[in-house]
Amino acid sequence: MNEKEFASKLKPWLDRSAAEVGELQATRLRAARLRAMDAYREPVRLFGLVTVNAGTAQTLNYSVLQRALLFLPLAALLVVLTLKSVEEPDPGDLDAQLLTQELPPDAFLDQDFRTWVGKPQS
Amino acid sequence: MSDFLASVERRAFKQAVFSVQEEQAALDIVQDSMLRLAEKYPDRPPGELPLLFQRILQNAIRDHFRRSKVRSTWTTLLSNLGMGGDDDDADPLETMEVDDSANVPASPEAQLEQSQVMATIEEAVKALPDRQREAFMLRYWEELDVSETAKVMGCSEGSVKTHCSRATHALAKVLKAKGITL
Repeated sequence: MNEKEFASKLKPWLDRSAAEVGELQATRLRAARLRAMDAYREPVRLFGLVTVNAGTAQTLNYSVLQRALLFLPLAALLVVLTLKSVEEPDPGDLDAQLLTQELPPDAFLDQDFRTWVGKPQS
Repeated sequence: MSDFLASVERRAFKQAVFSVQEEQAALDIVQDSMLRLAEKYPDRPPGELPLLFQRILQNAIRDHFRRSKVRSTWTTLLSNLGMGGDDDDADPLETMEVDDSANVPASPEAQLEQSQVMATIEEAVKALPDRQREAFMLRYWEELDVSETAKVMGCSEGSVKTHCSRATHALAKVLKAKGITL
């Protein structure tokens, strides 16, 4: 009898031994499986990209296009931040203008002065 | 995923029992392995699951042995009784004592006879050296091919063939010695 032949005759015995696992162990194995399935989340796909729960980055095989898509949110954020910084005046410049004017800064805090400035000149 | 786990959980448990020879530890190992597979590889196609699961399971078994070894080293150091012989490399089949109770004359009840044969086989599998048992189980019970078995075990294909051959011969020898024909 060769190696494979012997192993194929032994396999049914091993299968039977696994099938005859005690009731208590079978119940605990079932409980373990259910616990594992609780942790299992069907991954959601969008443009071929999967959710974080689909595994670590090393286990995912993305194409070049998909890899580029991964950086899209970061690129969008950078664009928004750049635009915002261009639109908003620099507070440093405002302070400099305020301090170089003839009027003292306290004047701008004076409510009566603000009212006087807001009045139409006759 | 659930169907796959249901189909392998009992075999995985028996594999772990054969290796660690302790049911509680075996259950923990199988549970950890199933959890790891479900958490880390939910996106893998069903065809890849058997190999992945075997990798995780065998690593979990190895981790168990590593932890036990560290624990026993500390126990030995603390108790100052480092006299036990280290026979890790010895082939248990070479020195395995034959259990006389297994040589009970064939019972008229076939069921009893079968359970005795099964017990003998289980004992023989348990008694195999770790790497031989691992190779035999993966190759002939889980039906992985030689290269897949080598990947799971982290060794060469030649080593797999050697381990399988030695395991098969050792098992055959034990069964023959007990008068069991398959």
